Amino acid sequence: MSDSEIKEILVDDKSKLFDTTGMFYKEFPSDYRQIRYFTLLIVQKAPPEIKEINLLEQQVSELIKNAVKHGNKSNIKKKVRVWFIFDTEKARLIVEDEGPGFQELEKWNKFNRKRLQCFYKQDFEHMADFVSFRSKSSDDTDGGNALFAALEYWNDGVVFSTKKNKVAVQKTFPIKRHGIEIK
Amino acid sequence: MELKIRKSGLIYIIDVNGEMDLYNSYKLKELILKMMEKSIEQYIINLEKVDYIDSSGIGALIYICSTIKKKNMRLRICNIHGSVKKVIELTKLMGYFPISNSVEEAIKHIEAE
Repeated sequence: MSDSEIKEILVDDKSKLFDTTGMFYKEFPSDYRQIRYFTLLIVQKAPPEIKEINLLEQQVSELIKNAVKHGNKSNIKKKVRVWFIFDTEKARLIVEDEGPGFQELEKWNKFNRKRLQCFYKQDFEHMADFVSFRSKSSDDTDGGNALFAALEYWNDGVVFSTKKNKVAVQKTFPIKRHGIEIK
Repeated sequence: MELKIRKSGLIYIIDVNGEMDLYNSYKLKELILKMMEKSIEQYIINLEKVDYIDSSGIGALIYICSTIKKKNMRLRICNIHGSVKKVIELTKLMGYFPISNSVEEAIKHIEAE
């Protein structure tokens, strides 16, 4: 895989992923203890046909956690705003916090590029240096790996606003093919 | 999340039961650190009864794995399945973690080392 094929987190206010037309909306206080509960309130709108709902829940939970913890520093007075829409083909979310934004985004992209270069070379010894991204606000409960998985899971993109306190993501689910195979 | 410890020779098997999420993944990390203090050197983490893991859970496994590697101790992680396997795949850690299919396979692997 060449460097140019390595996915990156983008910054683009004009991305179509930020279009909230027809989306559901919820807002929550930044209560760390309730992150998974807030996530369930969102994911319950997903159609039951979606396979791997656990995985969707986990990926949504990571975005909410980032907003609550890293964006709003778990300040209960600060809100997390979420727009979301799910159908059997796509899932799209926009999560906004009131924090200063993900200022280390460029550093993260560079870090991720090095991580993936090690991975594609199957160089797990050096990859050990790139399995966890640590920022100024990271603590022991932060895995430092959520966005690595997010960039893979949200296969239509992970896009931040210019202020970097608002992220939009979209996933297209694999098409389930029905029919009779004729030999 | 519940953690149970059993033994097979000198190998300690930790059966994890429940969700490894942002609220409780630290428990596994703390348990293994305590076991290390008691000079235990061979570990199997059995994830058969774990159906949910998030980045904190993956982070705990990374921490445990790197600490054990640095101390030249032995670790296998086994029975990963469903969304747990998917999250590890998305994070591209399948080749980084020492993974076995079953507890039996993990025991054989450690004994052969």
